[in-house]
Amino acid sequence: MKVKVVTNILEANDRLAAENRKIFDQAGVYVMNVMSGPGAGKTSLLESTIKDLKGELKIGVIEGDIAGTDDAQRIEALGIPVVQINTGGGCHLDANMIYEVIGELPLKDLDLLIIENVGNLVCPAEFNLGEDMKVTLLSIAEGHDKPLKYPLMFQESSALVLNKIDLLPYTNADIGKIRKDSLSLNPNLKIFEVSCRTGEGISEWTKWLQTLVKTT
Amino acid sequence: MHEVSIAQGLLEIAIDNCKKQGYQSIDSIKAKIGKASGVVPDSLLFAFEALKKDTIAGKATLTIEEIPVGGFCDSCKKHFTVDEAYVIECPLCRSASFKIETGRELNIDEMEVS
Repeated sequence: MKVKVVTNILEANDRLAAENRKIFDQAGVYVMNVMSGPGAGKTSLLESTIKDLKGELKIGVIEGDIAGTDDAQRIEALGIPVVQINTGGGCHLDANMIYEVIGELPLKDLDLLIIENVGNLVCPAEFNLGEDMKVTLLSIAEGHDKPLKYPLMFQESSALVLNKIDLLPYTNADIGKIRKDSLSLNPNLKIFEVSCRTGEGISEWTKWLQTLVKTT
Repeated sequence: MHEVSIAQGLLEIAIDNCKKQGYQSIDSIKAKIGKASGVVPDSLLFAFEALKKDTIAGKATLTIEEIPVGGFCDSCKKHFTVDEAYVIECPLCRSASFKIETGRELNIDEMEVS
């Protein structure tokens, strides 16, 4: 007997992502999912963003790592409500993990929730968490071949933040190639060049983010 | 990608549908996997074979239909398909202005039950 099923296999994750979305909408909070390879500077970007915007926006953070609480501690030191998820081996956050901790943050009091995903240029792009926007971070030190090697991440994101531009004189990275390749994958990608270490370019990024949060 | 957890998800959906329809066992499952879904068909088959044991899909065969990546070009106004997993320009006119329509599927399509 033939039975037609026609169901998306990742439907369980998408269903939970929709639940998260409903909770976020009811609380009136804008949610940003930040993804990158390990060591590109996600937590540093969060620190720079929070320092710039905490006077204007109420911010909360969900940290995702396989193990440890280092990142959550860095955010806590800025006086920001933060929850640390330890996946225990999972290489990306999924909607269920977010759903489990969603009640631990004062969502109704927040304007912006930043989710820092597990450091990984492959898997996070596949799993919706219920966010408003995905942002990919790429550091100059990772090389200019990454967009074409990891296309999905760049296709799924609304913004690309190129970090560690202060290291440009010490690498062979061709920023023009990064821009060209990532825009060919995603013509609508907004690209920012920053150095979290020196502060260069951070205010352009936070101004754009603030406008997005306030007008959504 | 996560072929094991995807095989798990596929089995759960199949078993759930089979039981809900009042049948006892699954003889075959057909999945439609897009070439740009990130799933490696051989790995999925391997994971499925390992996980199906001791379930009502224990004797089921999994067939995978690979869906090619295809889209519509906003410049030359034509539909296209490609062999590769990713498209960075329209293969007909080389424009960067196109929409992907097929190739990201990750669906369990139909099954034979008894």
